[in-house]
Amino acid sequence: MVDQLPNLGREAEMLATMGMSSMDDLFSDVPDEVRIQGLLPLPDPQSEEEIIADARRLLGSNVALGQRVSFLGAGLYRNYVPAAVFQLITRGEFLTSYTPYQPEVSQGMLQAMWEFQTLISELVGLPIANLSLYDGSTAAAEAITCCVRVHTRKATQKDTVYVSELTPPDRMSVIENYCQGAEIKINMLRHNPDGTVMLSSAQDAAGSCGVYVEQPNPIGVLDGGLPLLKEIIGQNTALIVAVQPVSLGLVEAPGAYGADIVVGEGQPLGSPITGGGPIYGIFACSKPYLRLMPGRIVGRSIDVDGKEAYCLTLSTREQHIRRHRATSNICTNETLIALMGAMHMSLLGPEGLRDLAVRNMAACTLGKQKLSAIKGVHLPHASSHHFQEFVLELPGKASECLSYLDGVGIVGGFDLHRWYPAQPNWLLVSFTDQTKSNEIELLAAHLEVWVASQGVTA
Amino acid sequence: MSHLFDHHGASGKGYSQPAPVLPASELSLPDTLVRKQAPRWPRISEPEMVRHYTWLSKRNFGIDTGFYPLGSCTMKHNPRVNEVIAQLPGIADIHPHQPEHHLQGLLSIYHEMQYMLEVCAGMDQVTLQPVAGAQGEFTAVRCIQEYFRLRGEDQRTKVIVPDSAHGTNPASAAMCGFEIVEIPSRVDGRIDLDALRAVADETTAVMMITNPNTLGLFEADILEATSIVHDVGGQMYYDGANFNAILGITSPGLMGFDAVHFNLHKTFSQPHGGGGPGSGPIGVKAHLADFLPGPIVKKRPIVGDEAKHAVDDMWFGWYQPTHSIGKVQQWHGNAGAIIRCWAYYRRYGNGLKTMSEHAVLNANYLRHVLHREAEAAGVGDMIVDGAETKVAKHEFTISLEPAKERHGISAMDIAKGLLDMGYMAPTVYFPLVVPECMMIEPTETESKETLDTFAIDFAKVLQVDAETLHAAPITTPVRRVDEVYAARNLCLRHPYDDE
Repeated sequence: MVDQLPNLGREAEMLATMGMSSMDDLFSDVPDEVRIQGLLPLPDPQSEEEIIADARRLLGSNVALGQRVSFLGAGLYRNYVPAAVFQLITRGEFLTSYTPYQPEVSQGMLQAMWEFQTLISELVGLPIANLSLYDGSTAAAEAITCCVRVHTRKATQKDTVYVSELTPPDRMSVIENYCQGAEIKINMLRHNPDGTVMLSSAQDAAGSCGVYVEQPNPIGVLDGGLPLLKEIIGQNTALIVAVQPVSLGLVEAPGAYGADIVVGEGQPLGSPITGGGPIYGIFACSKPYLRLMPGRIVGRSIDVDGKEAYCLTLSTREQHIRRHRATSNICTNETLIALMGAMHMSLLGPEGLRDLAVRNMAACTLGKQKLSAIKGVHLPHASSHHFQEFVLELPGKASECLSYLDGVGIVGGFDLHRWYPAQPNWLLVSFTDQTKSNEIELLAAHLEVWVASQGVTA
Repeated sequence: MSHLFDHHGASGKGYSQPAPVLPASELSLPDTLVRKQAPRWPRISEPEMVRHYTWLSKRNFGIDTGFYPLGSCTMKHNPRVNEVIAQLPGIADIHPHQPEHHLQGLLSIYHEMQYMLEVCAGMDQVTLQPVAGAQGEFTAVRCIQEYFRLRGEDQRTKVIVPDSAHGTNPASAAMCGFEIVEIPSRVDGRIDLDALRAVADETTAVMMITNPNTLGLFEADILEATSIVHDVGGQMYYDGANFNAILGITSPGLMGFDAVHFNLHKTFSQPHGGGGPGSGPIGVKAHLADFLPGPIVKKRPIVGDEAKHAVDDMWFGWYQPTHSIGKVQQWHGNAGAIIRCWAYYRRYGNGLKTMSEHAVLNANYLRHVLHREAEAAGVGDMIVDGAETKVAKHEFTISLEPAKERHGISAMDIAKGLLDMGYMAPTVYFPLVVPECMMIEPTETESKETLDTFAIDFAKVLQVDAETLHAAPITTPVRRVDEVYAARNLCLRHPYDDE
């Protein structure tokens, strides 16, 4: 701690200046009844070298996915992030700045976030984006509460939304926690056996405040029917689409097929998976939602000399001004991770994004070819299109298959039994730009061995 | 000016990618889903991109740039080893859905962090899931809400907050569905116990308060406030934004609180990153522990062949509380932030008290020399204390009301004048209970020399005439930004030529 406290050893001098004689004088206003006696029961202070040694030992014992052959995605995806991003993000002017309340000395971050808003806006095909929410799940939850604020007055199904029944339980739980205070009723939007949205179920959602779907959806299906949804649900029902942003290098921007709000896990653009955080949530919308949307927004303005300048704007929606009537309680967000996203998007450019999407989808397509050829496994949504992951139905429990694969150094995917209790044999296998052909072949070979051990004869 | 969207290079590749494992021609999409117009992103090479962002960074002020006395934000130095640690593959490249035996190192650090925060706060159980202070508030109030529901106390529909509270307090409670009851503070900024008694009743669910309060004053009557709320069956919530003042000295637990959130990005040095990421774990007393969002890390003796994966003689596992409210973030919180804060706390260990003592020492010292230097320069009468007190805690407030009344110089004018002197301005116009307020928090990582120089420079700014100050700042990348223009002429993205 010595290295962090410049005034260690100078306490007496500083106290004397104030006419005090001991550090205790500084706490004369803290009653004895609430004082901690003695030292906190914590270990002794460590030096930087000791800390980094412990960190290397403990974190080194974790299995980093890069050490293995991995097919685990399920919402977080290991795309390559270029080196320049990591180098630039350590610039102390970005790293150690606070929310840009003093715009005159915060133009760098303000302009970078205005550019981020533009990049996201173009990516998803909607005119407005904020500068990030915490993650994809809170972005989904905030989109749902936002659409109720906007639509419930005219809605025939007041305070009601329809959420895809495939939504993973952890994401659903976040949505429920955010919705319960506003007493929002959440109905399920049904899906067909091939994984696409059941359009008759979408008809039930007409007149509600909003519909929440994902593209690709949680079981990896790209749903060609989503462009029909907006017409079915009508103008006064928000279409909320959650995206995997990389997919939009190939897949139509939801704004182009009538989405009113687009959300998503921004992570695959700019950020390592980092145990699930910090990552960043994307939130973009069309004009009718602007004044009731959550989060910080940067606007381009001018200074007193008429020079181009940027500042936070539309703050009257926010908690520090509006207090309990704010559109959200969010204050701290994920600015720095969004900045990483902006840097990655800049380096990609439109062609690079397309290339990245192709690499993800190509690995998935190859995986589909190789794995579907294994006797005894079956693709329940084989007739549908997939972007980067799909479901394999195994002849035994996915959890047991994953244990077997773990034993041979493969992180085989995600056990969908954890999301869908009726599906103990469903394995979600994911592919990214990092997946190599030989890794897919390795997975196929070991799956074959495991399937054979299940006594399956096809 | 450097504009990202002015780059239209022909090659359009800022980094090269290997070929896909299958040619693009072999991929198939539903016709309805083929993207028709590519995003109009820039086409920029790596050297241009690096220069653009470096240029932007030079137009931004951080703690590394200079003194950042932004009250309520605890802008302390961010040790760089924490950044190195957070990039190790054992944190950057792990997935929350990996099995426990892949993540024993992470889980042991989570467990240690839970324990450390429990000890510091005097709470029985911590969850690391909330990813920001406001989300911590929301989470804790949700837990209390479910606690009352399970007890059949549905009539508790109100949350009490002082008028000096952070805006997130009422916003978070309102998001849970509670009605907000705001009580006035006394003229000295402290809690008005009579006002509290007048509103506390069987409809009270929670009182949310920070101590030291937003004026940087310790609420000496805190035990009395706690018993008023507890006597009517309500719960006490501690907003941990100002925790930097009291580590190892007192704790929310000793003050009688039932729940608390921590701002790891304030107290434990997760870099603020221009507005995030943060981390907002919460701690609760035993009666609320069953309601926390899961999973939480618990340890138990090793069974069977677990030893080969273990980092300790114990096994660390995820645990789901019985009546958990569920999740508030889809994964396991901001793991990367938690690792940085773990590295930070290890530097102090049982010496965290020294950290808080120095934060309070620096704040009181700056308060003293600020007045001293203003007096010496003959402008001492332009500022008054925001609240009468012998000692402040980690931050203090001053009021520029005399300067405003006599010379037409506002707190904002002084703030802009300080920018010209090379400082980040203190927080202005918060808390609202102090007119022309300036809230100053130096943190423990500033040297005596920095504080002395700032005090002298502050006095210099106080001597500047009103006209000059109205025009400040003049040395910054841009001068005063027209926020009204921004709101009236909304330009929230790059205007493409065809728009």
